[in-house]
Amino acid sequence: MRALIKFFIALFALTAALNAFAAADLEVNTPGINAIKQSMQARHAQLAAHYSSGAVGLTADGMIALRDAGAVPLAQRQAVNALVAAENNDRNALYAEIANANGHPEWQGEIRSTFAQRWIQRAQSGWWVQSGGAWKQK
Amino acid sequence: MSRSCFPQYSVFTGTAPISSLERFINHSRKYCVRLVRRTLLVLLLPFTANATELSLSIADVVAPDFSARGITLLLPASGSADLRITELHVQRRSLLDVRIHCAAFALSTASVSCHGGSLAQLPGMLVQFDYRFDTASWQVSAQLRNVPGKQLASLLPPDMPPANLPLPGQGALTGTLRVSGNASAVDAFDADMQLTDIGFSDASGLHAAEKLHGTVKLAATRKAALWAWQGHIAWQSGEIFWQPLYLRGGHRISASGSLDGASLKVEQAVVDLPETGRVQFSALWDMKQGALAECAAHGSDLALEKLFTDYAKPFLDKGALAESHVYGHADADWQYRNGATQSLRLVLRDAGIADEGQRFALLGVNSEIDWQADAPRSASIAFAGGALLGVPLGAGQWAVQMRSMDFSVAQAALPILDGKLELRDFRLHREGAAWQWQFGASLSRVSMEQFSQAAGWPKMLGSLAWRIPKVSYDGNEINIDGALLFNVFDGTVVATQLKLVNPFGRAPRLSGNLNMRELDLDLLTHTFSFGNMQGRIDADVNNLELQDWQPARFDARIFSSAGNYPRKISQKAVQNISALGGAGAVAAIQRSYLRFFENFGYERIGWSCVLRSSVCTMGGVDGGDSGAYTIIKGGGIPAITVMGYNRNVSWNELITRLKRVTQGNMQAIVK
Repeated sequence: MRALIKFFIALFALTAALNAFAAADLEVNTPGINAIKQSMQARHAQLAAHYSSGAVGLTADGMIALRDAGAVPLAQRQAVNALVAAENNDRNALYAEIANANGHPEWQGEIRSTFAQRWIQRAQSGWWVQSGGAWKQK
Repeated sequence: MSRSCFPQYSVFTGTAPISSLERFINHSRKYCVRLVRRTLLVLLLPFTANATELSLSIADVVAPDFSARGITLLLPASGSADLRITELHVQRRSLLDVRIHCAAFALSTASVSCHGGSLAQLPGMLVQFDYRFDTASWQVSAQLRNVPGKQLASLLPPDMPPANLPLPGQGALTGTLRVSGNASAVDAFDADMQLTDIGFSDASGLHAAEKLHGTVKLAATRKAALWAWQGHIAWQSGEIFWQPLYLRGGHRISASGSLDGASLKVEQAVVDLPETGRVQFSALWDMKQGALAECAAHGSDLALEKLFTDYAKPFLDKGALAESHVYGHADADWQYRNGATQSLRLVLRDAGIADEGQRFALLGVNSEIDWQADAPRSASIAFAGGALLGVPLGAGQWAVQMRSMDFSVAQAALPILDGKLELRDFRLHREGAAWQWQFGASLSRVSMEQFSQAAGWPKMLGSLAWRIPKVSYDGNEINIDGALLFNVFDGTVVATQLKLVNPFGRAPRLSGNLNMRELDLDLLTHTFSFGNMQGRIDADVNNLELQDWQPARFDARIFSSAGNYPRKISQKAVQNISALGGAGAVAAIQRSYLRFFENFGYERIGWSCVLRSSVCTMGGVDGGDSGAYTIIKGGGIPAITVMGYNRNVSWNELITRLKRVTQGNMQAIVK
């Protein structure tokens, strides 16, 4: 009987621990999140070609990085740099806003890593993603 | 120095003056450092019928950072010479089958020289060298004619050039190179090169150039440990990306200075920046620290637009300034010392700044600003006009007190439309890395009609006036202490506890409370073409939060003001209010006898909306939290009561309905 109680307590503790973060609603919608998403969607059209060419890759921490500037014509390198910086600003803001909208600003780290996995899973084949500190082509 | 450090020779023949050859080798021995002899073979002597030829073969020469294998020197009687090295290693670079041909080779007791020399590896290059035995002075010069930069780069030792600077991968060089020195070191260097289609890139691609055309002249002479140099670069065309700068040809620089082991001094330099102007500077670069130690720069009549876009903006990665355009002309004097700017003198002529988002603009700025790091200064800044959030600003003149990184304006006026914004105690200062500012302000009566038009809102009547004790920005949040008071629609709107977080970010967040009292419904409904209502109304919007200027949360309540005043509502307004509850309610009115009346009387209006997670939970005059609720409670003759039935509505749906109503798309269907 005692063992059974222990088992249930352990099960409850485990469920509670999992739920602590599982409760985060990643699809939560606020005007702030909408504004960031729209800005990211508009930028994606410009970034997509650079993901395909390998100039820009997806990092393991939910950001993007210029991994091969040589794949971009010289005159456009500055603009691509600016695109990467703007996208990373938006991504940081997105993770913070989703954590805020969930009422748990401290969840930002977990939300970022969940998004990082999601971005990498959804990356098209041929795009470069970071895994274990090295770049790999999907 | 042991004798074994130099390859020995033992046999000679032919017509070469033996004593000078001996002397040459002996002399060279003095400067050999630690050559290790492996083998020595001296061979010999194929005499032909009509020519005398000396062939000297030295198998291996090995030293730290240097080794050569299979060395053969062939001296035909014609006066030419051929040196062949099967394998040459200099530091970590290897060259195979090096062949140098000297058209005129001379060896005497005083000197050895090679004129008209050519390298098999570099077909376009003519080499000449002279060496004097008595003074140990030497000179090497090379004439290049379209020599591929890549081949030339392959001859450089791996630690050259320093700091991982990329080497040319494409293009060619034409011109002359001259290096001379004595036994201990190089003491003069001279280059005059023309670059054709030169391109380079480092591995990351962040420092790269393509199709560079131009000339580079550099002359340097050494006295003891000090090099004196002067150079001139005319960069005609091509492009360079040097993170984060991207520049095109048209630049010129002439400079002279000195170099010792610790620092690089630019005594004077003149740089011509295309479409910008000329900048003169002197500087001291601390090579050990890798940092600028001192600099004084001067520019006259610089075109600010290009200067800002090409040379300043790339370093600003975010913030409003990074999305701005700068105009006009300026003279500038900049003094930098001890890791900080010591003084900056700016004379602005018709300068201006405007951000791309049309949030602010300041134009026609004329001023003389003489800023000193360690002394208080004042400056007068005059401007012709500008704009703030789309609203035009008039001309003004501000007296700015400057005390290091602390700027203040005691009192200033900014004309806005037909009124005036007065600023008090404006202060801008730097705390750590962040700029902070604060000010108090009051806006004298601005016509709401003009203001709403300028801001692109529906035309509103009334006037706008407010007074704020203090607005402050701490690098992240703008806080407004006290209350903002607007006089609109013949009533008042008081905004309190206003706070704007992340004002320059993607999604600025505004929070605060709005409390409106005794707004004239006639003016209000007239403005928003809502059908006519008469009466007065109070409204509270508490716990308001706007994200990206869109409502994310609030507790709103609208209710009839206290007091006696005519209370009337037109049929169209009734229909419109009903339409907010959905199309069904409108049809119900239209079917009833009420359609015969133009206006109705009412006793009270009450409506509330609690916005959470994009859903507005509504209530009416009497509170309650379920079932139907009264929005307009009828009174007088003819009276009308408007009920709401649905308590929850999506905020977006409500806005869509409101837009439809106010845009007059709602057709009254009277059956």
